[in-house]
Amino acid sequence: MSRLGYGPTPSRVAEVRQAGGARAWALAQVDAAAAASAQPPRPAPELAAFDQPLPEIFARFRAEREARRERRDAGNPPAGTAPMPPAAASADPDPRLSYSKDSIQAAAAWRLSACSRPDLEQPLLARLTEFWFNHLNVSADKGSVRPFAGHYLLHAIRPHVLGRFEDMLRASARHPAMLYYLDQAQSVAESTPRGGQARGLNENYARELMELHTLGVQGGYTQSDVRELARVLTGWTVAPDQPGGFRFAPRLHDAGSKTVLGQPFGPTDPRDARAGQYEGLAALHLLATHPATARRVALRLAQWFVADAPPPALVNHLASTFQATQGDLRAVTRALLQSPEFWAPAHALFKTPMDFACSALAALGGPPDEPALRQATGFLAAAGQPLLRWPTPDGYKTDAATWMAPDALTRRADLALTLGRRAPAADFLLPFYRPATRARIAAAAPGLQPGLVLASPDFMGK
Amino acid sequence: MLAAGACLALGAGPRAWAQAAPTATDGRLVVVFLRGALDSLSAFVPYADPHYARLRPSIAIAPPDGTAATALRLDDRFALHPALAALQPWWQAGQLAFVPAAGSPDGTRSHFDAQYQWETARPGQRADAPGWLNRLAAQVGGQPVDARPRVVGVGEASPRLLAGAQPVQLVAHGQAARRAGSLEPARQREALMALYGGDDALSAAFRQGAVARLASARDLASDMPPDVAREMQSASNGAAPVSLLEQDARNLATLMRKDRRLRLGFLSAGGWDTHVNQGAATGALAGSLQRLAGALLALRHDFGEPGDVIVVASEFGRTAAENGTRGTDHGHGNAIWLIGDRVAGGRWHGRWTGLAPADLNEQRDLPAHHDFRAVLAQVLRPTFQLTDSALQDVLPGAAWDRRLDGLMRRA
Repeated sequence: MSRLGYGPTPSRVAEVRQAGGARAWALAQVDAAAAASAQPPRPAPELAAFDQPLPEIFARFRAEREARRERRDAGNPPAGTAPMPPAAASADPDPRLSYSKDSIQAAAAWRLSACSRPDLEQPLLARLTEFWFNHLNVSADKGSVRPFAGHYLLHAIRPHVLGRFEDMLRASARHPAMLYYLDQAQSVAESTPRGGQARGLNENYARELMELHTLGVQGGYTQSDVRELARVLTGWTVAPDQPGGFRFAPRLHDAGSKTVLGQPFGPTDPRDARAGQYEGLAALHLLATHPATARRVALRLAQWFVADAPPPALVNHLASTFQATQGDLRAVTRALLQSPEFWAPAHALFKTPMDFACSALAALGGPPDEPALRQATGFLAAAGQPLLRWPTPDGYKTDAATWMAPDALTRRADLALTLGRRAPAADFLLPFYRPATRARIAAAAPGLQPGLVLASPDFMGK
Repeated sequence: MLAAGACLALGAGPRAWAQAAPTATDGRLVVVFLRGALDSLSAFVPYADPHYARLRPSIAIAPPDGTAATALRLDDRFALHPALAALQPWWQAGQLAFVPAAGSPDGTRSHFDAQYQWETARPGQRADAPGWLNRLAAQVGGQPVDARPRVVGVGEASPRLLAGAQPVQLVAHGQAARRAGSLEPARQREALMALYGGDDALSAAFRQGAVARLASARDLASDMPPDVAREMQSASNGAAPVSLLEQDARNLATLMRKDRRLRLGFLSAGGWDTHVNQGAATGALAGSLQRLAGALLALRHDFGEPGDVIVVASEFGRTAAENGTRGTDHGHGNAIWLIGDRVAGGRWHGRWTGLAPADLNEQRDLPAHHDFRAVLAQVLRPTFQLTDSALQDVLPGAAWDRRLDGLMRRA
């Protein structure tokens, strides 16, 4: 329950019993998650700020930037005029100014609700959305990404987590969040005149696409492949007025011939008639179906669901399933849950801060109130795993060596004791704990016990 | 490139200086690691190179003309980014040096691979390995008579540089480091310590974390300079807020000042991956450099003793030419900065071959004329009086680079 979701709740414990065994229950979760991924998510109305149509997000983001410019201009009056008193500047702030911040806070609140309320979001779907978002990470720490990160989670990742890997890769490649995050939106053919200055190539997305999203750093590509792939992808940029937020700009595209991983693209390509945007799609197909990609995805899934150092046999099995099914993630996920390795008791995982926060909230029936949401968000930031704000494109690590850090462990206790003070006790967890832990909790002051249940070492594994 | 696997060749020869006057057994080291690959050609600017401005039509730092809009002249070849003006006095006082073309013998342009290899000091190898600062911790401070840490890291949960068998004190970013939180009230603290009273690794880690956190909170809470407190309160009223990096630097310095057993420190800052609009004398990178300068000033305040050294480095350098979006892409060689009384500062060290296309690595970026481990070896050996075998243990496989002899002054 802590791997196919975010931990037990009283009703989930009952579900497993009714399903006639954990394995049958687990496979049913895959079907339930697949069905749920086809339905739109259900954020509460007050969180809807981050789930608007893309053209509207673009418009409000533009308004925010204009408001900032106005305020900056007003704050720097021309020489000779008196500066505005600080009080006037801070009173009654323009609501347009907080759009990005509100959007990312709403998206973070959705994630904490979705991971801790099975009634709101199917738990395995929430889990897989977290995994794939992290695999194709974007960060709201980059200002241009901020208003789009929540939309990316819901619309580029969530619908595809049990679909085809290539579809998710394509949705990610064309989403404004990714186009901005790895600077693809601005990468154009070498020496393209733009705004009076010649502009050109930016390698950032092409490199991370191969290193992190698909082949992996040892996947057999070279610096030349990075540069050629960047040329193939020139012209892929944002379109503020389009429902998908994406457009291919033929004038910005490098129409010359290129070679990526030994494959020709451009005029020397016999498929020349379908050059232009087709080149990028063909390159994504090449990468999505490459054996190195199958191995990388298989390894990461096995690390996420089974063990920090998963058995090579399992990784091979998942990689061959990935290849045999052309990257059908539902088949790969099923293969994972049907593997003996998934169920082997020897394999233990340590909760990441996000696992911990979500499972603590889930054990209490979801975030009890607004302060609890804020505390959980603050905890994640202090623990080094801020929601939607992991800064680098590699995504956060998931192993115990990273997260079993002394200082960070004491911060888990902070959140547990704070939540325990205001929420119902999660006593249904106690039967799963070791007798020594139960005795230590029972020996503490009664007022501390609900928090200690969540702070316990027995609650840190998954 | 140096022959891989060559040992530190420390036979007879001009290295007797390294053993001279072994008085400073109290040497301390702080590593400031800039994640994301700092563009050193913007920080330590080769302004006199005829190719510099040509390669960088919109992001070159203008050659020194004495104003703050241009680079600050250091010598007839290099200048400092104007946002680093606060460091110029150290150059003049001979306490700041650069090795402008250092890096890894491995040519990876992956941030994550390169950081891992830099932190483990094992270029080209990916197998799980401890960080070199943790290995160094085993070598300093004499016999490990107690289990108290010799090394402290601020801001990251588990930096690879500090991973290993030696105990490490890890401290949270910024203000969070000052709070003992749930450990503060005695009743809660006792209940938590009892809960983690087991002898498993998790319980041991928790207890270690609790002890260190209480000590950090105590040392930091009692030591907030009044000006910092005031700045924090007034931040919303227009006073420049102390940057997170500067705050972390002050925390690190305070902890190492109050606990003299802590002789090794680690601080990191992200945000150096400047692919787009990195700016020149002003702009995004200039802002980051300004914050870095503030952090280094804060560190140097407490690291002014003769044996103290601050090393500033990044996983690799960036392209010599700007890219199509007024930024720079991933490169190879990069500058390593060295700060301290015993650093032979006011000059740069090692080999520099300029920015002519034929002199660049793959016609693209700076070559790594000097293995970063060779630079570290020059610093570590005299600072901690390391023997050959100790140095070999900390920086396995590194070769001694005679071209860098003289990087540190004789004690």
